[in-house]
Amino acid sequence: MGRRVLIVDDHAGFRRGAARALAAEGWSVVGEAEDGEAGLRAAESCDPDVVLLDVGLPDVSGIEVSRQLHERAPELAVVVISTHEREDYGELALASGARGFLSKLDLSGKALEALVDN
Amino acid sequence: MAERIEQQVARAVGSAADAGDAYGRALEAIAVALGWRVAAAWEDGGDPPELRCTALWAAPGVDEDFLELTRSIALAADEGLPGAVWSSGQAHWIADAARDERLPRRAAAAAAGLHAAVGFPVRSERGVVAVIEGFATAAREPDPGLLERLEVVGAQLGQLIERRRAERSGDAALRRHRATLEASLDCVITMDHLGAVVEFNPAAERTFGYAGEEAVGREMAELIVPPDLRERHRAGLRRFLEGGDPTLLDRRIEIEAVRRDGSRFPVELTITRIDVPGEPVFTGHLRDITERLRVERELRESRARLVHASDQARRQVERNLHDGAQQQLVGVAMTLEAAGATLERDPPGARRLLDEAAAELREAIAALRELARGIHPAVLTEGGLDPALRGLVARSALPARIEAVPAARFPATVEAVAYFVVAEGMTNAARHASGAAVVVIAVREDGGSLVVEVRDDGPGGARADGGGLRGLDDRVAALGGRFAVESPAGAGTLLRAEIPCA
Repeated sequence: MGRRVLIVDDHAGFRRGAARALAAEGWSVVGEAEDGEAGLRAAESCDPDVVLLDVGLPDVSGIEVSRQLHERAPELAVVVISTHEREDYGELALASGARGFLSKLDLSGKALEALVDN
Repeated sequence: MAERIEQQVARAVGSAADAGDAYGRALEAIAVALGWRVAAAWEDGGDPPELRCTALWAAPGVDEDFLELTRSIALAADEGLPGAVWSSGQAHWIADAARDERLPRRAAAAAAGLHAAVGFPVRSERGVVAVIEGFATAAREPDPGLLERLEVVGAQLGQLIERRRAERSGDAALRRHRATLEASLDCVITMDHLGAVVEFNPAAERTFGYAGEEAVGREMAELIVPPDLRERHRAGLRRFLEGGDPTLLDRRIEIEAVRRDGSRFPVELTITRIDVPGEPVFTGHLRDITERLRVERELRESRARLVHASDQARRQVERNLHDGAQQQLVGVAMTLEAAGATLERDPPGARRLLDEAAAELREAIAALRELARGIHPAVLTEGGLDPALRGLVARSALPARIEAVPAARFPATVEAVAYFVVAEGMTNAARHASGAAVVVIAVREDGGSLVVEVRDDGPGGARADGGGLRGLDDRVAALGGRFAVESPAGAGTLLRAEIPCA
């Protein structure tokens, strides 16, 4: 069984695509959530190794969710993702305790592994 | 004798009300002085020249037939005694008019017992302007000395009458000036060098609340200049009178004025120094521009709203693209990658992923088309209002029907605004008019305008200043049209836009 991943993103089309791509690379998609609150709950219930976290969630910023996840479980690997390529996202993500930032267009199992294992 | 006639003529003309009256009075003065029974003035009143009697004086008892003939006859420019004087420019003496074959009125003169006849020209700078003739009862031989003096009297009379005419036309100019002031929609206020009002026209009375007679004589600053600006006004006047450069003269400025009740309002003001001898006199033309400034402010606000709405629309498009098609396309890309990754080890699985990617791609395309239609529907560009509105009706959440729509094409901006009036009206009806059974759309061309009506039978009570309707109002107004919302409670809502087609 591959690594366990939780996808937190409000766009169902993206969640579907991401889940298929990661599954094809051997990842195990253990949960999906469409907003920050649901994401925090799923992180506790699904026991993921990695959380993929979109910046632009409808209820609360993904950066804030990342900060809260880091407080609750510092060992949990969080990767912040977005289609917006703002230069400061990487910095904000790291400051929140995440492992890093990935553009959704660059997302793949390998890219995720590279970030998480560093 | 000539001096006496001259004095009498001058006095007679001086007391006359107009040129016709001046002749009448002059004729009497000359006739009485020279013992004439009849005196007449002849002037050219036709084209070709035709002499007619324009003033007539007769001693009591003169035969009425002769007078009537004199009043009614028209003489050619060289006919009869007046014609001889007119055409030669010289005085003439006829010893016995009753026997002179050249005179058309000789029989009447004979019947009236009139014999000696004298005619002389009235001259001004314009040349001979009239002929004066006189008849006496006795036949008299010509008196060259008297003829000469009468020519002098004619020149004097001509000048007097011209001067009188000029004075009268001066009076007329003054009357015209007054009438202009009174009819003016602008306030016209004239001020002397001391700053006192000398003229205050009816528009000023209406605007400021003072009667002309109470304004005249008072300091203008105290009447119409707001208290905090008065000292500046007085200092400016003093500075100008001491030889300083005029800062306000002959310029159009916008400033505040104050009414009798103390209320302040914006005015456009032009002050001109009037060209009269003596101390300077200034005339101010003022116009209340409250309404103009209100319209300008509304225009500015409406433009700002249009720009804001346009920015907001762009942001909305960006959001829709980001949240809709873009996310779906990213998902499709990832699904295709997944299909690629599993192609060799799990061909049926890869095939399933490809089918799913294709279906999701079609969804993304449909979302993009919907978005594009919201920005500017292609069917409107290609086919005009008819197919575009039919498309709206087909997709409407509420039952809708088109009562009228022209097949003709209109300028693209007109079609776009008409389309969005209908689209917004239908969206509003679907969103707010709960209970509405049907939306009816009518678009008609009427006198160079496109009239668009969207009517629903919902509960009414729509507000014209709500965001969407205000935006429509701005868009219609930007094309010089009119937009109205009628939405009485319980009686449905009617949106009506009149959009000029030119």
